Amino acid sequence: MPDVQSHPLPSAAPTPRRRRRRGWHGLLYTLPALALVVVFFLIPLGMTVWMSLHNWPLLGNARWIGLANYTRLWNDASFWNALLFTAQYTIVSTIGLLGLALALALMVQHQGRATGLYRTVWFLPVVTGFASASLLWAWLSNVDAGLFSPLAQRIGLTEGRFNLLADFDTAFWSVTVMVVWKMAGFYMIILMSGLQAIPGDYQEAARIDGASALQRFLWITVPLIRQPFALALIMCVAGSMLAFDQFYIILNGGPRNQTVTAVYKIFNESFVSFRLGYGAALSVILLLILMVLSIIQLRLLRDRGES
Amino acid sequence: MIDYKAMINGVAVISLAGMALPGAASAEDFSIWVRSDGSEFMPRLVEAFNAESEHHANLQIVPVDELVQKYAIAAAGGSAPDALSLDVVFNPAFASVGQLRDMTDFAHSLPYFDSLSKAHLEVGSWEGKNYGLPFSGDASLLIWNKDLFEKAGLDPEDAPDSWAEIEKDAEAVSALGDNTYGFYFSGNCGGCNIFTFTPLIWASGGDIFQHNGRTATLDSDEVAAAVEFYRGMVQKGLVPEGARTDTGTNFFGAFANGNIGIAPSGSFAIGALNNQYPDLNYGVTYLPGSQAGEWSSFAGGDNIVISAATDESKIPAIEDFIRFAYSPEGQTILARNGAMPVRSDVAEQALAGLDERYLISVKAMAGGSTPYSVVFNDLINSRNGPWITALNEAFFANSAEQARQALEQGQQEMQSIIDAAY
Repeated sequence: MPDVQSHPLPSAAPTPRRRRRRGWHGLLYTLPALALVVVFFLIPLGMTVWMSLHNWPLLGNARWIGLANYTRLWNDASFWNALLFTAQYTIVSTIGLLGLALALALMVQHQGRATGLYRTVWFLPVVTGFASASLLWAWLSNVDAGLFSPLAQRIGLTEGRFNLLADFDTAFWSVTVMVVWKMAGFYMIILMSGLQAIPGDYQEAARIDGASALQRFLWITVPLIRQPFALALIMCVAGSMLAFDQFYIILNGGPRNQTVTAVYKIFNESFVSFRLGYGAALSVILLLILMVLSIIQLRLLRDRGES
Repeated sequence: MIDYKAMINGVAVISLAGMALPGAASAEDFSIWVRSDGSEFMPRLVEAFNAESEHHANLQIVPVDELVQKYAIAAAGGSAPDALSLDVVFNPAFASVGQLRDMTDFAHSLPYFDSLSKAHLEVGSWEGKNYGLPFSGDASLLIWNKDLFEKAGLDPEDAPDSWAEIEKDAEAVSALGDNTYGFYFSGNCGGCNIFTFTPLIWASGGDIFQHNGRTATLDSDEVAAAVEFYRGMVQKGLVPEGARTDTGTNFFGAFANGNIGIAPSGSFAIGALNNQYPDLNYGVTYLPGSQAGEWSSFAGGDNIVISAATDESKIPAIEDFIRFAYSPEGQTILARNGAMPVRSDVAEQALAGLDERYLISVKAMAGGSTPYSVVFNDLINSRNGPWITALNEAFFANSAEQARQALEQGQQEMQSIIDAAY
């Protein structure tokens, strides 16, 4: 991660006048970025909130209904079920992803003969798009024409063909395994850069003092990768809370609509049922939930030394 | 300097020219959209029209899953197409929100109005007026693999004409073993099942809607009976396991692979099978009811509609285009490129020389129905809608009781979505 904080130049402390001019310059330089944020984030956000206060069909005229979308949302069991499922998926996939990513990062943090190869191999799935990876997985899991079921039958694991996607448990795990396979390499890179930033002297000093590998990991590595870990955690949780493609493409939200995620529900309301206003209200609530989650994570992972 | 004088002269010349030809319709350009399913016949139809007419149609083909969204966005921005070939199932929803132009007078001015597909016209009407006219047809049918029938010791020319016969034939074909199955259907596809499963219900005298789509009747005995027919075949192992999770991707492909005895399908499959699988020896018949002699079909396809915002000056050009599409020439272009003609008095002429299996499709469509609902997408097409959720659970339930419960649950959800829409 590049350091985005601006540091005053160590040479010659700037005079007040110069500092003022620098402030102007700073604003000038950030204007393009600011304009992008306003046009592509703040205005759409405002419009979403505005739409959420209307009955806004895809076709026909919008009608102001105040907070009715939000009161309806409060009683909409299917949205809360979707959110509950999303939370469950987030917990499972985050543990799987970060656990595996940390293990992989520990393996490839040092320079060695084959580490370059391993890094590349583990990172490769990341460059596949989620949609293409999902299509690939949908085919592999197909009970008649795929790989897993016919293979399991051939080597005698199952008696007949077993349809992985027809039961909630197997379907859910099948998708989660795909996500871990696809994304672990990405978090591996983040954690690896954190590991490499730990000065070698610390480990060496601890080793001289007779600390075991486990002790060194727990008391040196873990505290020092707190920041990259926090970054990986927030990205992973936010990404999982926004999961959509994989459940849409592989499972269509099935079996029995048990794998409809929060974003999937928003998509359905907006573009299948054509209720854009209600979809906007759901988006606003999801945004608030994500904000709260990110703040909690940042607090938990803040360095104790910082105030 | 602006030369005002020249400008005034110019205006005068233009208005004089306008006065000199009173009553002559000027050539107009108009835009027309079609969903990607029509990408075979529509470009040819538009090309032929443009070659003949003084008017000019600009065609745009839109991916089938995005048509409604694209149209809505264009309409909101004031750039909706002037005319649109619209999937019949969306016609009520578009008409009910005032998005379409009333075409009643034009429709009744057509001398062959009575020969136009009734099912298309019904679904194109809203509060007694016509907001859509039949444009292209697609009928659902039953297809069977003659080679597999022969191998299984059945008469390959004997079309199954009742549920009992389908099941008996499917058992015989399944007995061949070796990854051969008697029957296939896309068990998790709402669109496929409204197209091919509801005709079984209609043929037996039932329905899934009543009162112009205001009442759902998914919990009726006729629906339960048709579900039991499918469920029975699933329980006996006559249907491959993949049917349970097929969201429509294998709707055509499963039968085309050649290891399925019987499958419900549509007229679109005739052209596709002939072109892509010329060696497959198959027959086509009506989707039967529980008793021999009963049959029905889903009369699908597109209606042609005109946007409410379309400029008055373009209407004659669009009406010319519609008349051209209804001419024997236009209907022949449709028939030769994968769509069913929608004008029954010239259908045989349009289909002359083509595979005779198409004639069954034309008759199926003429005797078919189309469900009417302003919330069709929500109820039926949605991958998580009550229709397919209930059917999927019921088809693959372990007991009739469980299937019945799934249908009752689906009935409640469907009715509550319908109630919320009115």
